Amino acid sequence: MKLVRILILAAGASLVISGAVPLLQRIFADSKPAVQLNVKNAKPREVEDVTQSAIVRDYTLAWQAISTALANNTLQPLNDNFAGFALDKFTQRVKEQKQNGLTTRIIDHGHKVDAIFYSPDGAAIELKDTASIETQVLDGGTVIHSDQAQIQYYAVMTGAEDRWKVRVLESAAQ
Amino acid sequence: MRKVIYIGLVIVLCWFAEDCARAAELRVPQNAVAGQPLSIGISGSGTLYLVGPGQVIKKEFKSGGSVEIKGEELRSAGRWIAAIRGDANQSQVFWVKPGKPRKLNFLARPSRVPVAHPNVISGVAFIFDQYQNLILDPTPVNFNLSVGGAGSTKTVTSREGVAWISSASAPKAGAAQFVASVGDTSVTRVVQQVAADPCERSFRMHVAGHTAQNTIVETDPIRDCSGNPVPDGTIVTFIQTDKTGKSTVDARIKKDIARAELPASDNATITVAAGVVLGNELHVGGRQ
Repeated sequence: MKLVRILILAAGASLVISGAVPLLQRIFADSKPAVQLNVKNAKPREVEDVTQSAIVRDYTLAWQAISTALANNTLQPLNDNFAGFALDKFTQRVKEQKQNGLTTRIIDHGHKVDAIFYSPDGAAIELKDTASIETQVLDGGTVIHSDQAQIQYYAVMTGAEDRWKVRVLESAAQ
Repeated sequence: MRKVIYIGLVIVLCWFAEDCARAAELRVPQNAVAGQPLSIGISGSGTLYLVGPGQVIKKEFKSGGSVEIKGEELRSAGRWIAAIRGDANQSQVFWVKPGKPRKLNFLARPSRVPVAHPNVISGVAFIFDQYQNLILDPTPVNFNLSVGGAGSTKTVTSREGVAWISSASAPKAGAAQFVASVGDTSVTRVVQQVAADPCERSFRMHVAGHTAQNTIVETDPIRDCSGNPVPDGTIVTFIQTDKTGKSTVDARIKKDIARAELPASDNATITVAAGVVLGNELHVGGRQ
């Protein structure tokens, strides 16, 4: 009898764990995407340690901002992390989403990022990012598209007042 | 039993046929280009959604056929989602490539540079189409750096959207035109090339005169080692040392020459320097 109880308890616990782990992973993925940066291939200038940390921090924040902005159709997160063409494009996307009653939910499973160009004066850096992303497009409450894919992005970041901002973020077919 | 299997097979067949029919309802092109018209094949009626990196298009359609998207509507390159809701619900991913090169983001550094220094000027060009999409295909970019008509041109093929060069400054001072161009598009930046430090070989001063109280010393025209006049305003320091101590005058170069009045002395040594460069030494008074 005791053994049966233990077995039921163990089954219940494993059920809770199996449900909770993916949920926690998802929550974690939503709040802070994992960014792994490799700077070995950066040319012509070597990426300094401080710059590496700053790029990881600010590129992570940029993706967090994309998720928030597209899910809630708000512009503020974009203004803090984007500049130039990238800011123009995402601003337009958010405005048009809002106009058409759409939202986009991004579940970010992480980024493997290679720095491929770092300008001689240290003012601009280009990144090649292989991102694992789950995307859901919703019209009101209805999901009209859902997919999970590895997407390649090219990002150009430049130094701004107190952080690096994304100036270009473009996906390309692999 | 046979009847059940038969019914089951019919259901599976219908399911498969319905699936095939649905698959044919949304047809997106595989070679879309930003700025070029796009035709999306659709059957039935409903709403078409196109969600791209920088835009959203929503169109109602009836009786199928195809939905035409104008070139100016399709502006963003990258990953797009096409979805339909209506008679059928379906979605697909398709890719839009950037158009032809039309814009350059050109960073030229620094804005002011001494002449005749190797690898001191850098030019970085990011190549975009007319809708600000980064062109990732290799594209030749011409970089031209010239001062007063004389200069050099170098062609660099871009890699993953960026082309860059590192160049020496010319031996001649002046406003250098640094031009990056792709096809008909060019962007110019000005790099001010200024004389380098004075040339030690020719950095000399002499006594230009005397007043009752002072000795006037002035330099010869001050030039760098390439013969460019060192800019007016550059500070030259004259130091006179005699038995009473040391007198220092910081004078600015004016019309290529720096001039100073030092207290008259019967036996003094005067030195001249500009930055880290030393000129000649003069002895005034008893023995010059």
